[in-house]
Amino acid sequence: MYSRMNKNKYMNPYLAGVLLGLVLLAAMFLSGRGLGASGGIKDTVVAVVGAVDKQHAMNTPYYSKYYQNGEHPLRNWLTLEIFGMVLGGFISGALSHRLKFKIEKSPKITNRKRLLFAFLGGLFFVYGAQLARGCTSGAALSGMAVLSVAGFVTMAAIFGSAYLFAWFFRKLWI
Amino acid sequence: MGPISIISEFPEWLNLLIAFFIGIGFGFALEQAGFSSSRRLAGMFYGYDTTVLKVFFTAAIVALAGSQLLSFFGLLNLKLVFVNPYYVNSAILGGIIMGAGFIMGGYCPGTSISALSIGKIDAMIFLLGGMVGAFLFMETYPLIQTIAMENYKGNMRIDEWLGVSPGVFTLLLIIAAVVLFWIAELAEKKFSRPDITSDI
Amino acid sequence: MDARIKYSLLLVGIGIILAFLPFNATDSFLLKSDELLSKSESEENYLSVDQVARMMNKEDSTMLLIDLRDAVQFKECNIPGSLNIPFSDLLNPLWEGTFNQKEVKKIFYGNGDHSANYGWAIATGLGYKNNFVMKGGLNEWFKTVMLSQFKGEKITPLENALYETRFNARKAFTQVNSLPDSLKSRYFKAKDIKQLKLDGGCQ
Repeated sequence: MYSRMNKNKYMNPYLAGVLLGLVLLAAMFLSGRGLGASGGIKDTVVAVVGAVDKQHAMNTPYYSKYYQNGEHPLRNWLTLEIFGMVLGGFISGALSHRLKFKIEKSPKITNRKRLLFAFLGGLFFVYGAQLARGCTSGAALSGMAVLSVAGFVTMAAIFGSAYLFAWFFRKLWI
Repeated sequence: MGPISIISEFPEWLNLLIAFFIGIGFGFALEQAGFSSSRRLAGMFYGYDTTVLKVFFTAAIVALAGSQLLSFFGLLNLKLVFVNPYYVNSAILGGIIMGAGFIMGGYCPGTSISALSIGKIDAMIFLLGGMVGAFLFMETYPLIQTIAMENYKGNMRIDEWLGVSPGVFTLLLIIAAVVLFWIAELAEKKFSRPDITSDI
Repeated sequence: MDARIKYSLLLVGIGIILAFLPFNATDSFLLKSDELLSKSESEENYLSVDQVARMMNKEDSTMLLIDLRDAVQFKECNIPGSLNIPFSDLLNPLWEGTFNQKEVKKIFYGNGDHSANYGWAIATGLGYKNNFVMKGGLNEWFKTVMLSQFKGEKITPLENALYETRFNARKAFTQVNSLPDSLKSRYFKAKDIKQLKLDGGCQ
């Protein structure tokens, strides 16, 4: 039997699930939409591209549609939600004494390897999220809550393929 | 009557303010659940930590059941809540790519943000890679455009597709979730890795 | 273990209750009657055929023409790029996604003004925004755009622009409607569901 001592560090998962579900429900009730994350990353990149090379942004149809009618890509629901997430996570970490700069990894690999795969993981994940029009928060979780087929299919694809790839990357974690 | 900001036509600044506060709740809940730890998230796929499944399904059920109840009492008009559109090919292909990214990086965008907020450097690198990934997608969009737009099925809902009422589907989902919870608890005992669980 | 069994039973119990809840499938009118009345009295819901022609020529991607006539009439001829929603089919939940796009200008037309006005009232009453009526319908379109001629030698720039718009729209109209049926249906299918940026979601 593994020690249950450290489970007290974090909130009971079922309780945390209820809390998360209530947040999602609040989003649906107040703003008529679910949560999201990868969309906010996309908006940030669009804003950066627009700031660095305005011409290119205006000439490429994918970017320019965010600047139509004098709008700014950062002025939307998702981006504000992302900012809130940073604050919310920080508050939670502060209250639970978990604030600490560190690279979390298995002791069997080097820091460099961890960071390399973190970078690659992010690259693949957000690329896939753009393609599937959502990540685990936006498409899968919020999608399931509104009974969208896309939500269920995306979730099955994410978790299914992660399990398939798990054996190949096991050295990274266990 | 909800969704309030749509029916009461909130001004933009108010809607953005609501988004900010919901984000606070979101980040708080994710971090409290322990999703700010990549090894915990990865544990889902190796059996030693099934928090992901428990939190995910509990949240989905709470939101689903809650919204059904609110709709029944006339407090929430579900027709005005966004249902994500179903593009078959890109949903599956994108999901597969995301799965690879998940197991490589140990995060998903939402959890990486809550991890970043408590100082996890690997999460920051994950987000950096994420931004590069988004950039890559946008720059090479014409190449993948056809796949991304193929097989559009509209805002398909699973209860319509299966031909059951939303309530019945919720019941089925609850039953499935409860079964999965029991399996998860068993798996945690079988695949337990106290060396990792005590460390995260 | 005991607590877990209790909670499992509680969850399943909630699910059973939910399974018996009726799902309100009827669309409810969201606007109060006086709101709908004041909206329908304003002139801003009407678009002239010239305005529509100009938007067509500019290939304005935020506009969607909705033809309320039946499928047979639609096939015979229609304004290129329009979506056929026969009037009797308006309440089909299939069209919800179409009506729900806030940035899209939905322009209703029929042969005359009748069905367009009703279509507008229904869409606006259900709470959808950005609905318009093309004043005069197809009859006006024919009269103005298709058959218009300018008399006299000197014409003002405004009239010139107007004539050009009508001429271009007329050309597009004739070209598409003279296609053989097989090609026509493929053209319409391609224009059918416009993938416009949807509001919301992690795109």
